[in-house]
Amino acid sequence: MTDLFARWILTAVIFVPLIGVVMIGLMNARSHALIRRGALLASFATLGFALAALRLYYEPTNAYGEPHWRAGLFALSLRVPWIGDPQLLAGVDVAYAVGVDGISIWLLVMTAALTPLAIWASFSGIRERIKEYYLLLLLLEAGMLGVFCARDLLLFYVFFEFTLIPLFFLIGIWGGPQRRRAASKFFIYTLAGSVLTFTAILFLAYQAYRMPGIGVFTFDIEKLYAVGERLDLATQRWLFVAMAAGFAIRVPLFPFHTWLPLVHTEAPMAGSVLLAAVLLKLGAYGFLRLIIPMLPAAAIEFAPLVAGLAVVGILYGALAAWVQGDMKKLVAYSSVSHLGFCMLGMFSLKVAGLTGALAHMINHGLSTGALFLIVGVIYERYHTRRFDEIGGLAFHMPWLAFFLVFFSLSSIGLPGLNGFVGIFLVLVGAFTSSSTLDGNSTGPLGIAYAMIAAAGVILSAVYMLWMCQRVLFGPLRELTRTPDRSSGLTTDLTPREIAILTPLAVAALAIGVYPKPLIESMQPALQEQVIAHVLNRAPDWPVTPVIPFAAAAPTHAAVPSDGHDASDSSERRPEASAAHRTLAPLQAVPARAETAGSTASDVGGGV
Amino acid sequence: MMVRGFQDFGMLKVAPLIPLAPLIASVLVGTTGHRFSRGASHWPVLIGVALALVGSVMVAGTVYFELPYEYADTYRLYEWIAPTLVTSFTVSFCIDPLTGVMLLTVCAISLLVVIYSRDSMRHHGHPERGYERFFAFLGLFVFAMCTLVLAGNFLLLFLGWEAVGLCSYLMIGFHYDRPAAASAARKAFLVNRVGDFGFGLGILCIYLWISPLTNAWDNPLDYAVVFARVGDLAPWQCTTIALLLFCGAIGKSAQLPLHVWLPEAVEGPAPVSALIHAATMVTAGVYMVARCGPIFAQSPVALGGVAVIGAVTAILAATIALAQYDMKRILAYSTISQLGFMFVGLGVGAADSAVFHLYTHAFFKALLFLGAGSVMHAMGGQMDVREFGGLRRVLPVTYATFLVGGMAMAGVPFLSGFFSENELIHAAFGFHAWLGPMLGGLALLTALLTAFYTFRMVFLAFHGPQRIPDGVDVREPGRWMRVPLLLLAVGAVVAGYAGVHPGLGGFAGVIAPNGSFHEYVRPVLSPNTTVGADASPAVGHGRYLLMYVSAVVALLGIAAAYVLYVRRRAWADAVPAAMPTAHQWVHDSCYVDEVNEAVVVRPLRRAGVLCYATDNFVIDGFLWLITVVPRIAAFFLRELQGGSLQGYGLTMTVGLLVILVVALLAN
Repeated sequence: MTDLFARWILTAVIFVPLIGVVMIGLMNARSHALIRRGALLASFATLGFALAALRLYYEPTNAYGEPHWRAGLFALSLRVPWIGDPQLLAGVDVAYAVGVDGISIWLLVMTAALTPLAIWASFSGIRERIKEYYLLLLLLEAGMLGVFCARDLLLFYVFFEFTLIPLFFLIGIWGGPQRRRAASKFFIYTLAGSVLTFTAILFLAYQAYRMPGIGVFTFDIEKLYAVGERLDLATQRWLFVAMAAGFAIRVPLFPFHTWLPLVHTEAPMAGSVLLAAVLLKLGAYGFLRLIIPMLPAAAIEFAPLVAGLAVVGILYGALAAWVQGDMKKLVAYSSVSHLGFCMLGMFSLKVAGLTGALAHMINHGLSTGALFLIVGVIYERYHTRRFDEIGGLAFHMPWLAFFLVFFSLSSIGLPGLNGFVGIFLVLVGAFTSSSTLDGNSTGPLGIAYAMIAAAGVILSAVYMLWMCQRVLFGPLRELTRTPDRSSGLTTDLTPREIAILTPLAVAALAIGVYPKPLIESMQPALQEQVIAHVLNRAPDWPVTPVIPFAAAAPTHAAVPSDGHDASDSSERRPEASAAHRTLAPLQAVPARAETAGSTASDVGGGV
Repeated sequence: MMVRGFQDFGMLKVAPLIPLAPLIASVLVGTTGHRFSRGASHWPVLIGVALALVGSVMVAGTVYFELPYEYADTYRLYEWIAPTLVTSFTVSFCIDPLTGVMLLTVCAISLLVVIYSRDSMRHHGHPERGYERFFAFLGLFVFAMCTLVLAGNFLLLFLGWEAVGLCSYLMIGFHYDRPAAASAARKAFLVNRVGDFGFGLGILCIYLWISPLTNAWDNPLDYAVVFARVGDLAPWQCTTIALLLFCGAIGKSAQLPLHVWLPEAVEGPAPVSALIHAATMVTAGVYMVARCGPIFAQSPVALGGVAVIGAVTAILAATIALAQYDMKRILAYSTISQLGFMFVGLGVGAADSAVFHLYTHAFFKALLFLGAGSVMHAMGGQMDVREFGGLRRVLPVTYATFLVGGMAMAGVPFLSGFFSENELIHAAFGFHAWLGPMLGGLALLTALLTAFYTFRMVFLAFHGPQRIPDGVDVREPGRWMRVPLLLLAVGAVVAGYAGVHPGLGGFAGVIAPNGSFHEYVRPVLSPNTTVGADASPAVGHGRYLLMYVSAVVALLGIAAAYVLYVRRRAWADAVPAAMPTAHQWVHDSCYVDEVNEAVVVRPLRRAGVLCYATDNFVIDGFLWLITVVPRIAAFFLRELQGGSLQGYGLTMTVGLLVILVVALLAN
C-alpha cells in the first residue's frame, strides 16, 4: 500500500491541480466565491500531497531504521512508457518518468507552498474573468510541478514549455497597461531560447541512438548523462551553448534579462510571485539538472564565462534596481542580482557553492515571493507603486512595515534569516572553488568571483533599504482618495494578508536559524547527481569522439588534474552510492563508470 | 584549548539563557505589546535583561572561580551551516574571562538603560508613540550583543555583528517619520556593510586557509581551532586576515574613514545613543580585535595599522568635537575619539588596557549620554548648547552626575577614565622606537582636547547665566531616570578601581596600575599583551611619572575650558570669528560626507542609471534589430500573397517549370 502510494504520489502532486482545473471548469463562471474556494482547496490539496512526498522521501532507509535523507538517491520514482518502445532497436524511448531527489524535492515543496498563497493573495486584486484566472493559475502550477518531477528529458521539456502558456495569458489578460507587449515579449523571447534547447535535446537523443550499447532515441535523463559526458569537447560546447540558450533566458542570466523587469511590472501579483519564485528557478534547475551533469567538460570550460556573467549580473542588477522609481521593477532587478548568486554558486562546482545555489533558489523564492506579495498589497490600496507618489506608509501600516522590513532583511542576507544561508554558502563555494576542501577535485573558479560578488551583498542592502526608506519612512505621502478600502481591504493588512505572509516569514526564520535539514538533504544529492558527474575524473578521462564536429583533441585541458587532498580525502569522501548509473551493460563505457545495479536509481518509495 | 559538547557545560549551562531571556521578552513585547502591555511594556524587557545580568554574573563568576585559564572552552549548541558533507559551522559559545567582562558590561549598562527609558520614552507621563516597539528593539539588541560576545566562532560572531547593526538601524530610525532619522539609519547600516564586506572576506579567508590545517570534523571557524592553527599560516596570510577583520572593526567602531555614520546616529533616542552608540555596540570592533589577538599578534603590519588608524581617528574626532554645538554630537565624536584610544591600545600590544578602557568608558559615556538625554528631555527636545545654558540650578541631579561623567572622561585623577586612559598613553609611548612616541604624543594631545571639549560642553550647558527656551517647563527627570544616572555616576567613579591595586609608592603614593581586572582578562589577551604584562620596576617608575603628566594635562584642559567659557566668553567667541574657514571645516567634519557623496555614491548611482539605459537601449535595441530582419523579409514576401489568383497561378507555373528544367538537366 505504502509502496503504491509512494510510486504514485508525484503523479498525484502533478495532477491534483489539473483536477482542480476540471472542477473549476465545471463551475458557473459567476459563482466567484465558489471558484476561489475551489482553487484554494485544489492548491492546498496539492501542498498536502507535496508534503506527503517530502515525508515519504524522508523515510527510514538506512540499515538501522533511522530517519535519513536518502543519500542523494532518486526516490518515489515511476516510469511508464509513453512514446515508442525501448526494446526495439532503433526505437524511440519516451517515458512518463517521474522521481525526486534532494535537489528537486525542496523546489517541489516550495512551488506547492507558494501557489496557494499566490491564489489566496489574488482574492481581492482579481475582479474580472475570475474563472479563467484561477484555471490558468492551476494549470501553471501543474506545469511547474511537472518540471521538478520529470526524469525524462522530453517530459521535462513539455512541462518546461507548458508553463509559458498559462503565464502568457495571465500576463496578457490580467496585466498592467502594457500587458500585451509584455506578454508577447516574454513569450517570444523565452520560446526563441527554448527552441535551441529543443534542438540540443533532439541532438542528444540522436547521439544516444548512435552510441554503442544504447541504440535508441532515448530521452531518459540518466542515460543521457552517460551519453553527453562521452561526447567530445567540441560537440559538448555546441550543445552547451544551445541548451543554455533556453535556460539562460529563463534564469535570466545577464545579458538575457531585459524581458524580466517589463514582465514583472505588467504581470498581476500572483503572476509576479510565481514568476520570480518558481519560473526563474526552472532555468537554474535546467542548468543544475541537465547541463552540468550532461555536458561536464563543457561545463568546466564555460564555468568562468557563466560565473563571470553571473557576477556582472549581480552588480548590474543591483545597480539598476537602485535607480528604479517603481517598487516592482526594483524587486525584479533584484531578482537578476539574486539569480546571479545562484549561477555563481552552481558553477563553482563545489558542495558549498551548489548547496548555496540551491538553497538560494528556495530562499529567493520565499523572500522575493513575499516582496511581490507586499508590493501587490500596496498596489491594491494605492493604485501606484511609484516611490514619488507614496511614502511614510509605516505610519498607519505597521504590519506592512514589519513584513517589508523583514523580507528586505531576508533578501539582503542578514544572518539568522534565510537569505544569508544561501548567499554565504555561494560565496564560500566560489571562494574555495579552486581548492579541494570538500573532498572533490579542484573547481573552475578563482577567488576574484567571490570577492566581486560579495560587493553585490553591499549593493543589495543599498537598494532594499532605499526602497524601505522611500516607501515606509519619512512623512506620510499618499495620493488623494487612497488608500482604497473597497472589497474588504483595510488600511493596514487584513487578517488574510497576514495569514499569507506569516508562513513565509516563519519559513524564512526557520531556514535562517536551523537550515540543517535543508542542507543535509541537499548535499548528498548534489554530490552524487551533479558533482560526481563533473569533477573527480581521472587525469586521462577519455572523451570518446563519437561524432567529431571539429578536429578536437580527445584530451583537453579543462579536465582537472587529480587534485585530491591526499591526507584526509578518504574521510571526507561520502559513501559513493553510484546509484545514478543505469548503464551497466553499456559497452566501452569509460573507466569511471563504476556501476551498481542497473535499476538502483529507482529505489522506489516506502521500502 | 578544547571543544566540548553542551552536556559538559556544568555551571555554565545558563549561558544560552543570557541571550535568550531578552529575546523572549522582546518577541513578547513586539508581538503582543500593542495589544496588552502597552505602557507597561518595559516590564518584560526589564525582567529579561535582569535575568541576562544574573546569568552574566554567574558565568563571569564561574569563569573567575572555577575555570582554569588554560581552557578557553568552546561549547557546541547545534550545527548551523554545513559547507561540505563533513564539516559544519556550528552555533557555539566561547566562555572565558573576556566574554565574562563583556557580558557584565553589556548587561549592566543595558539594565540601567532599560530602567532609564521607562521615563525617558514618556512625555508628561504618557508613553510615546511606539513605546512597546522601543522596548522590543531594546530586548533584541541585548540578545544580539550577548550573542556577539558569547559567540565561539567567527560565523556566529558575524551573526551577532550584523544583528547589532540591524538593531542600530532600527533604533536610529525609531522616529521613522523624520527623514533625517530614516536617512541616518540607512547610512549607519550601509557604512557598516562596507566594513562587513571586509569582515566577511576575512572569514572566508580563514576558512580557505585554516581548514586544510585542521581535522575534517572540526569547525574551521571556531576560535579555538583558528587560534591554535594561525601560527602555521604564512605571514602575508595572517596580515591579510587581520586587515580584513579590522575592516569590520573600522565600520562597527566608527574609525576613519568609516566613522561618518556615528555622528548621525544621534538621531536615535538618547537611551539608544547611550547604550548602542556609546557603551556597547560600537565597542564590538574593539572586542573583536582583542579577541583575535592571536591573529593580530602574528602580523606587526596589522598591529601598526590598528594603532595608527586609532591614533589619527582619536585626534581628528576630538578636534571636530571642539566645534560642535549639539550635545549629543559632541558626545558622539568623543565616542569615536575614545574608541580610537582603545585601538591604539590594541595596536601597541596593550589589549588588556584597551579592554579595561572599554569597560570604564561604558560607564562614563553611558552616563554622559543619559545625562544629555535628561537635558534634552527637560528642554523639550533641544540639544543645541547655544539655545540654553546655566542649567545647574534647575537640573541639579543631572548636573552633578554629568559633571562626574565629564570628569571621568576628561581624565581627572582618581576617577575611572584616568586610570584606563593613562595606561593606554603609557603603552603607546613604549611601543616602538619612533612610532611609539608619536602615537603617545598624539594620545596625550587628544587627552588635552578631550578634557577641553568635555568641559566646554559642561560649562556651556550648565554654567553661566540661566537661559531656557521659551515655553519649556524645566523639571528634573523622574525617579526612573534619576536612579540610573546616580548608579552610573557611582560606576564612573569606582569602576576604575578594578584595574588598579594599592601599591606603595605608586601614583599619589598609593595606587599602582594593573589590578585584578588585568589579572582576570590577561590569560585570554596574552598573545597581544606585551606592554602591561611586564611589571618591572624600571617601567613602573616611568608609568607613575606619566600618570602625573596626564593628570596635569587633564586639569590643564579643564582650566582652559573654564577660562574660555566661564571667565572670558568673548575669547571663546573670538576664535571662530578669527578663522571662520577653519572653524567651518571643523564644524562640518572636514566634509568627509560630501567627499563620500561625490566619490562613491554619485558615481554608483550614475552607474545604475547607465545600467538601466543599457538595458533599454543597447540590449533591447539589439533585440529589436533581430526582430527587424523577419519583419523586413515579411514586408517583401507578403507581396507574394496578395490574394490574387492570377499571381498564385503565375508563381505556381513558374515554379513547376523551374522544377521541370532542373529535373531534366539533372538527368
